[in-house]
Amino acid sequence: MSQIIHVGGTPATFDAFADFFDGHTARKHRVRLNIDNDLGTEMVLLITLPDDAVLRWPVNNIRLVRDQAAKDGIVLRLYDNALARLVIRDDTSTERGLLARCPNLHKRAKVKGRLRIATWAFGAVASVALIILVFIPIMANQLAELLPPEGERAFGESTFEQIRAGLDETGLEPLRICDGGAGLVALNRLRFRLEDQTELPYPLTVHVLDYDLINAFALPGGHIVFFRGLIDNAETPEEVASVFAHEIGHVVHRDPTRIALRSAGSIGVLGLLFGDFAGGTVVSFLTGQMVEATYTKEAESAADDFAHDILAKSGISPIGLATLFERLTEGKEEPTGLAKHFMTHPAAGDRIAKARKAAAKLTDATPAMTKPEWKAFKAVCN
Amino acid sequence: MSISDLQTEFVGRRGHLFWLSLKTSVLTLLTLGFYRFWMKTRIRRFYWSAIRPGGHPLEYVGEPIEKLLGFLIAVVILAFYVGVVNLLLMFASFSLFQQNTFAYVISFLGVLPILFYARYRARRYILARTRWRGMRFGLNKGAWGYAWRAMLHWMLTIGTFGIMYPRQAFFLEKYLTDRTTYGSAQLHQGGRWQMLYPYMWWVIITTTVSGLIIWGVATDTLVPQDLWLLVVLIPAALASFIRFKVQAFRLMANQKTAGGISLHSNPKTGKIIRYYLLGYTLIGVFFLAYFFALGFTAVFAFPDCLQDGQFSPSTCSNAYDLPTWVMTAISVVIYFLTFILWSVLKHVLVTLPVMRHYAETLEIHGALNLRHVTQSTHDEFTEAEGFSDALDLGAAI
Repeated sequence: MSQIIHVGGTPATFDAFADFFDGHTARKHRVRLNIDNDLGTEMVLLITLPDDAVLRWPVNNIRLVRDQAAKDGIVLRLYDNALARLVIRDDTSTERGLLARCPNLHKRAKVKGRLRIATWAFGAVASVALIILVFIPIMANQLAELLPPEGERAFGESTFEQIRAGLDETGLEPLRICDGGAGLVALNRLRFRLEDQTELPYPLTVHVLDYDLINAFALPGGHIVFFRGLIDNAETPEEVASVFAHEIGHVVHRDPTRIALRSAGSIGVLGLLFGDFAGGTVVSFLTGQMVEATYTKEAESAADDFAHDILAKSGISPIGLATLFERLTEGKEEPTGLAKHFMTHPAAGDRIAKARKAAAKLTDATPAMTKPEWKAFKAVCN
Repeated sequence: MSISDLQTEFVGRRGHLFWLSLKTSVLTLLTLGFYRFWMKTRIRRFYWSAIRPGGHPLEYVGEPIEKLLGFLIAVVILAFYVGVVNLLLMFASFSLFQQNTFAYVISFLGVLPILFYARYRARRYILARTRWRGMRFGLNKGAWGYAWRAMLHWMLTIGTFGIMYPRQAFFLEKYLTDRTTYGSAQLHQGGRWQMLYPYMWWVIITTTVSGLIIWGVATDTLVPQDLWLLVVLIPAALASFIRFKVQAFRLMANQKTAGGISLHSNPKTGKIIRYYLLGYTLIGVFFLAYFFALGFTAVFAFPDCLQDGQFSPSTCSNAYDLPTWVMTAISVVIYFLTFILWSVLKHVLVTLPVMRHYAETLEIHGALNLRHVTQSTHDEFTEAEGFSDALDLGAAI
């Protein structure tokens, strides 16, 4: 052994006892601990077993076992030996002596198999994406056509209840349905008038929900929902009628059924990805999707054409669509609901122009609601 | 108590667990849930190290990364089932029955074998990553065997209105125990299923009488006022069920042996019930205060929300001057904060005291035989507890 001459703060000689488990048997060994400084560069912890065998643990390789509940001691391990454990308990001087001498106690092990994790992560994202973006939309489009009318209606009802519960901000009860008697009668008279011009396998149902958003949307099976925000912002019954007719167009083309089937399939998959932790947010996110449903350009265009057509047949001027959207899109810094939906659409100007053109063609229009009806309808949520 | 009998200490402190679980939950929230694998690992390390049979702590050596990997594998396999199969079931259910209960029932039944399979696999993973005195625990292969047995047992239990539940509890526990190893020692579950029966009678009596009362009121044989009896009966049923669980644990632990080593457990039903009652009452009181404070803050921040002393969201939503995204951010944070507080408080006020009691009433007899136990081989187990995690079988810890 070479002689080391210590200059200045010489560390006190280290001599202590501890419990040791070698990882080969369940026996506990009482071991003696010393520090070997003599190799010059690398300091080594010497562990002397009862049978005088000596284990050499380089202090640089000693790690602390983390997140231990007890405060009365420490458990040490060697970074490249997963099994052996050195336990120091109720012996603060030994504990401090070792903590001071081992520089890498908190160093983390290198993550093994990164490539494998990356591969599976890619696989997981890819399979979820494939299922949500490809399989489920294809299936939803097919199944929407095959769903029998009674099933579609029931599906719409259950979606409606989910949306009522999902939009509620208090977390206490579902969103209130407005039932101002005369106002609802007026809305249903308008419904009969428009319904007469369609050939749906089921009757339409129309609801008004007490919610601020300026919006209206359709659900599977002919459920059409207006938010109070839209009614508050509408200035003429024709505006309400044109939105109504547009939504009927979506119902006839089964657009909401497609979207709702798609959400129903996606909820579970997304829930799987984020765990129960975010279960609630996934549901509310998809509720939002349904309410602010973004249909394709073709679907919107088809719903518009349908609306102009049945409005004309019912003798109601399609001008409402133009006036409502013009008003909603001007001077608003942050458009929401219907306005946003409309504005973000590439052909917004075209649609206003189309509505004006359809309105110009119609010469013998009658009002969508009488004055007293309109007054009652505006107060439907009071 | 002989020289070779070991007592078990429990050294975990509530304050320590509180901060650990709060810190890791917040990190989980900030990482959109991905820290949960680290959170689970760290909390398990804490609990395991708190339990010290014979003065030596258990150690949990599971790694967060392997949990992440296992989860990803499970997502790849389950995404198809959850997405495509559930969509088809939903369609079939609305087409044929005009409601979605059918879809839920079939979907649940379809996933049931996978649930039992996942439960066994999760236990195998946890045991393979548990050590005591340097020796690995382990569970042999046999997840599908467990799954079909569990299905049959449940059928029998449901078919006999719960009368066969003790039989199920015993045989499923035996299936698990007889496949559990500690180092080179193989565990064995002794005893008979009938030994659990004395603790089942009160469960059967209280639930049957409760059921009869509900049925009686539903069929107008009894007047609705008789439902008041349930105020006594339902807590009694709950208490007798906890008693069954505690005593079944005790009786079965006392019949577990491994190479001359045996267990002696003596948990007290009264204490466990008291911990549950006290824990959940405190949590309830806390959440009452929490929601009251939230409501108070909301009213204070948005005075328009208060109309004639009543909270009315319809009038106050117009009063929001804040941009929508701020409101959304606030509600998302409150939503998650509520979950975090719930899970943190449950750890501190329920799980820890219950676990402490089970630990402190456990003795190991014949500990001299520990000297014969040698190490077992490492169980690689790629998918970790991925299925159980993806299917949210979170269990207690």
